[in-house]
Amino acid sequence: MEKKRVNVRLVSSVATIALVASSVATWSLTAARADDAGMGPGPKAKAASFPAGGTVDYTKQPYTPDAYKGTAITKDGNRDCSYHNTSMKDYSGQTLHVLAPPPPNMGEPMEQHGAEFTKLTGGKVVVDHVDVGSLYSKAQTAFQSGISPWDVVVNFSTWIGDFQQDYYSIPTKYTTGNGELATMLPLYKQIYSWNGETKLFGIDADRHFLKYRTDVINDPTAQAFYKQKTGQTLQVPQTWTQYNLMAKTFNGYAAAHQPAGVPFSGSVEIMKRDDLMWSAFINRVAPYAKNPNVKTGFWFDANMTPQVNNPGFVRGLTEFVDAAKNYIPQGGQNFGLSDEISAYGAGKGLFSYTWDDAWSQSNQPDSPIKGYVLAAPNPGAETVWNSNTKKWDTPAGGVNRAPYIAWGWSSAIPKYSKNKQMALDFLCFFANQANHQIDLSIGRTGVNPSRSADFTEAFWTKNLGWGKDATDSWLATLKTYSSAHNRVFDLRVPGNGQFMSALADGVAQALAGQATPQAALDAVAAKWKDIEQQIGVDKIKAAYQNVLKLENS
Amino acid sequence: MQTYKLTNTYYKRAFLLPGLILLVAIIIFPLLFTIRVSLAGWNVSHAGLDFVGGHNWARAFHDRLFWDSMNRLLIFSFFTTILQYVLGFTMAMVAWRGIASRRFFRVLWLIPMMTTPSVMAIVWRSIFREDIGAANGIFHGLGLHPIAWSTEIFPATFTIIIAEVWQWTPFMFLILLAGLLSLPKEPFLAAEIDGASAWKTFWRVTFPMMAPISAGAIVIRLIEASKIFDSIFSLTSAGPGNATETPSYFVWKRYFTEFQISYGATLSLIYLIVAIIVLTIIGQIFARLSKPKGD
Amino acid sequence: MAKTFRTLFIFVWSLFVLTPLSWAVVTSFKPPAAVNNGVTFIPWVQFKPTLSGWKDILGISGYANLFPNLWNSVVITTFSTIISVIFGCFAAYGLSRFNYGWKFYKNPDIIFFFVSQRIMPPVVLSIPFFLFLKTLHLLDTHLGMIIINIAGLMPIVVWLLVDFFNQIPREIDELARLEGCNPFMAFLKVILPISRPGLSVAATFAVIFAWNDLFFALNLTFTNAKTLPAAVVALNGTVTPFWTLSASALFTIIPLVGFAFVAERFLSRGGFAGASR
Repeated sequence: MEKKRVNVRLVSSVATIALVASSVATWSLTAARADDAGMGPGPKAKAASFPAGGTVDYTKQPYTPDAYKGTAITKDGNRDCSYHNTSMKDYSGQTLHVLAPPPPNMGEPMEQHGAEFTKLTGGKVVVDHVDVGSLYSKAQTAFQSGISPWDVVVNFSTWIGDFQQDYYSIPTKYTTGNGELATMLPLYKQIYSWNGETKLFGIDADRHFLKYRTDVINDPTAQAFYKQKTGQTLQVPQTWTQYNLMAKTFNGYAAAHQPAGVPFSGSVEIMKRDDLMWSAFINRVAPYAKNPNVKTGFWFDANMTPQVNNPGFVRGLTEFVDAAKNYIPQGGQNFGLSDEISAYGAGKGLFSYTWDDAWSQSNQPDSPIKGYVLAAPNPGAETVWNSNTKKWDTPAGGVNRAPYIAWGWSSAIPKYSKNKQMALDFLCFFANQANHQIDLSIGRTGVNPSRSADFTEAFWTKNLGWGKDATDSWLATLKTYSSAHNRVFDLRVPGNGQFMSALADGVAQALAGQATPQAALDAVAAKWKDIEQQIGVDKIKAAYQNVLKLENS
Repeated sequence: MQTYKLTNTYYKRAFLLPGLILLVAIIIFPLLFTIRVSLAGWNVSHAGLDFVGGHNWARAFHDRLFWDSMNRLLIFSFFTTILQYVLGFTMAMVAWRGIASRRFFRVLWLIPMMTTPSVMAIVWRSIFREDIGAANGIFHGLGLHPIAWSTEIFPATFTIIIAEVWQWTPFMFLILLAGLLSLPKEPFLAAEIDGASAWKTFWRVTFPMMAPISAGAIVIRLIEASKIFDSIFSLTSAGPGNATETPSYFVWKRYFTEFQISYGATLSLIYLIVAIIVLTIIGQIFARLSKPKGD
Repeated sequence: MAKTFRTLFIFVWSLFVLTPLSWAVVTSFKPPAAVNNGVTFIPWVQFKPTLSGWKDILGISGYANLFPNLWNSVVITTFSTIISVIFGCFAAYGLSRFNYGWKFYKNPDIIFFFVSQRIMPPVVLSIPFFLFLKTLHLLDTHLGMIIINIAGLMPIVVWLLVDFFNQIPREIDELARLEGCNPFMAFLKVILPISRPGLSVAATFAVIFAWNDLFFALNLTFTNAKTLPAAVVALNGTVTPFWTLSASALFTIIPLVGFAFVAERFLSRGGFAGASR
């Protein structure tokens, strides 16, 4: 018994020492970002297994919806990462890890092109799916701990300020010459780069635009009704004032082709606080606060004073609050992006104004409002705030347009990845001409037009069965955006998440009636000041110069 | 606390220490780390453990929204826990006194607790969505006015409480039922001989004997209820405005969407300290309440 | 009167329990349009039921396959439950039978220390645990998840079992000691067999909490050890697929319901009262 007692004492003292040691270790531990982990072994050469110009067929892929079975076939392209060229790389025995959202947006093409990549090269592609809301924190946690379990991460381009130091710079051969991204519009090449280096592998491109119901706007009965009610002519809204009046007037109206039993509202918007509402809100503010004559910034002025509480923003928020009270669907104040897409696609509103998703949804073969939705640029404003002179300006031509080039899906290679060459080859293969075309054909992949060849009408009418009018209106809108000046971009600086959630908090309080728009935005501005201090004014100012370049382009 | 003295210290330690050491070994690092992090300026653009002193703590004490959420939590967890306790006790009494096909009902009543809260929250959302949800669908069918389940403060609070009660009442039920099953029979026989009514027996015999286990169950439930997250996230996103925001949600946002690691750590330590104080007080109150009648 | 109340209560409560579940069952067979275009309740009448929600999670359509995740969940839950119940029941028995402590820090405080480990919001612990497992090279492994889960389960197990052991009369221990058992043997041979209801309650809770843990699984696993809840939540994309998620909610409960039937048998078999006489 005496021996045993000694043992117990021994065990407890060892345990105590271990505890003390681990406490000391904690205190001295530093979590820090790590160094670049190199390119990895790369491929071995092998004979091509895929003929040049051969047929790429996705109809036999699992989970290709029946509706697209006829269109998911195309010819291989002739750029660097075509099927033919990729089939000469031997990756057998190597595995690539990908962080991606669930299908269908991005998750589906990652899986499908991954399977094709395996067939061609023998390399495995393993996809770690996480919900959209966890993409950011999961990547950030790993990177700040100095590792990356993934060789490829799918992300939002708006996070570039937070992540650029963690990303490997994409070599120029992928964006020029015969590289797969060479024909991407210059605007998006700029969005995917940071200080002149390409940080994001651009597999998608986005913007917010207006969707409207033609069975109201172009309908003679509705036009007469509108004239009689308001004394004005019904047309595609050019300003938010017109938009608001139309939405209010037609809230509850019986549209000519309204699906049976579906209530009709004026406008379907994203208003749920922690669900991308901030991004929708930017549209409401942009034309009131983005003045073409002000070159010192939309988000901050030259002294880095936040502009979120200037009269332009307040005006936008006041109208947003008015919308919430008067002409959104029932429960619309709690709509996230997902709800916006499905509600508009179901025919619940006259207007909607964010990403392409609601548009694809309403043009799908089974959509109840197919054929009654057209696209247009988002409304402008008849007056715009000048943050330098502190006065409202009247824009030349009567309407100030300020398209919001919203962030979208993109991908990147973390510099901590030990297998970068394979990651590059995979992403480049993912984005090759044939795959890009197939992703565009299957509307729900989250891949939207970004290259010069994407803007041809025939592609959409033939492959997706979209109406000619719808396609034309959409492509015209996208072209306007690409060539526009006076555009608004996301606040691509470190701490973007913090800035935007502070903004969303304020907007939500105003929507709920807990504060007036002015008071709510004043509080946001004060918070933004704090955030600048926490992260470092200089750091943010330096990063904001990148955004300014875009804004003034 | 009445315990038996079996003299041997060897056995005494051998029983407790393995478990205690295992727990401490797993938990000590995160805890110390969190304390250390709360003294650093770790945020999205600056990963690392520098030393900024009490900066985060000072900021936390002035964060009105955080303290608002604390107040809200007190009300939330109080109401949900009381509701769960009352309903759970009723269920346990009903199941204890034998019902037809008892086993079926017992398992049925346990099922809600077995569902994954985050997924159930999405199902609840599909019920309380105002435009396409089942609740308003039924209201519409009955010719009643639809209710603003997620955009007005009272219905929003109500839906969260409903989801919480549905999910966690079985927890109370199971613990209290197990407690009831282990009660000695003699006091009940005595009460029967005295001719006491069922109601009287409950208040004089059952309830007092269940006091210690009830106290434990309530404390544990309070702890779990204070971590309420999934139903808020899915049903209201803390809205309307911030009317349903609780500390765990608040901290989650600082962490997950803003990556303010140091500040989040500070907030959660404050929350931990407050929780320990409040729970200790509640524990004391329960101990005092259940003492005079106990052994 | 009491009987009417009882019947009514059973009826109402069962209805309340079943409502969301049956809604989930109905929703899991809906095509997307039957969810998004308006409320529908009755299959065949209001919408044409489809199996696609189920095919999507069972690996039939190629959308997602939850079976590997089911396996991960089973492994992690089983081992973390067994380990925490073994360690927990010894600690709990010790706390119920011996006096521990140092000055003001006594048994109740130690018990509270165990319980208090559950107060911290898991999101806060996710980063230290990430570093912890990274250092041990246990990220995305079953063992890593088991270790983390034990920290969450042991408090519950200890707290429950202390109460149960407290209700077992000390005379039983003493009887065993008189017959020549040392405290270990007394515990193993006499106390444990009559504590089956308590152990089964503790194990039930451990299984449920381990099974449903989301935050740690979300952050500490990638592909190899991803558990069912993490995989289910990861089905929630830009458009919430209510139908698929409803199916997966049911898929997640089914194994546990089976378990509940088994555990309930132990729970209902007598109680301490019978054993102590």
